[in-house]
Amino acid sequence: MTLEAILFTLACIGISETSYLIEKRKKGEKPVCFVGERCDEVLGSKYSKVILFHNDVWGLLFYIAVAVLTAFLVIGVEPLIWWERLMRVSVASGVLFSLILIYLQWKVIKAWCFWCVLSAITVFGMGIILIIFTIL
Amino acid sequence: MNSAPFHILRVGLAITFLWIGVLILQNPEAWGGYLNPWAARLLPFSLETTMIGTAIFDIVVGFLLLTNYFTFWASAVASLHLIIVMTVSGINPITIRDLGLLAGALALAANTFPYGFIKSKQQHS
Repeated sequence: MTLEAILFTLACIGISETSYLIEKRKKGEKPVCFVGERCDEVLGSKYSKVILFHNDVWGLLFYIAVAVLTAFLVIGVEPLIWWERLMRVSVASGVLFSLILIYLQWKVIKAWCFWCVLSAITVFGMGIILIIFTIL
Repeated sequence: MNSAPFHILRVGLAITFLWIGVLILQNPEAWGGYLNPWAARLLPFSLETTMIGTAIFDIVVGFLLLTNYFTFWASAVASLHLIIVMTVSGINPITIRDLGLLAGALALAANTFPYGFIKSKQQHS
């Protein structure tokens, strides 16, 4: 239950982050950049869109998926083993995707976006928590 | 309205509502045990059905708060819901936690009150 509670909380934080970015993009407004001043460069770069959708939409779908899968595990919706595997695969994919995005900001765009880094930290947090609870 | 404390309160309250919704769905009858007997007798549906409805309501409110859509209405009905919860469950060790949640929901509702919408309605009439 502790693992699910933490993952669910992190997924919810991710949903709020990505929905904020989507809202700002739809309104054509700049998101608040707490650290640094080059969020626009990253969010407006050609790497902000992958396969049909913007990264914020993919992020929102990812976080909703993790929240729903975690909720299924807590409620006890069968088949539990498949939801658990799917959740682990989703988090692993999220970590990999976040690593690629971090690399792009660091080496290619050479600018950092506060919200993108925060989202990556949220996903890495999920991965770390999952590893810790698997080992323990 | 767009300050960091507002968003922290909004997201925190949203997670609480969402997680409570999930926990109620996990074991609706156990959560129904918090209802006072007089309140349980007033239910139009079975206890389990009512609690599942409550869970879905909590999840919807939580999702609206989390995504910052209809935040005033979500926090207003969340406040009303918490008042009903405190009324039907009576005074118990977790009442004080509900009181804190109610204060948070009222703060959000007050902060997002649609003054502009009401003023424009008054000007049209």
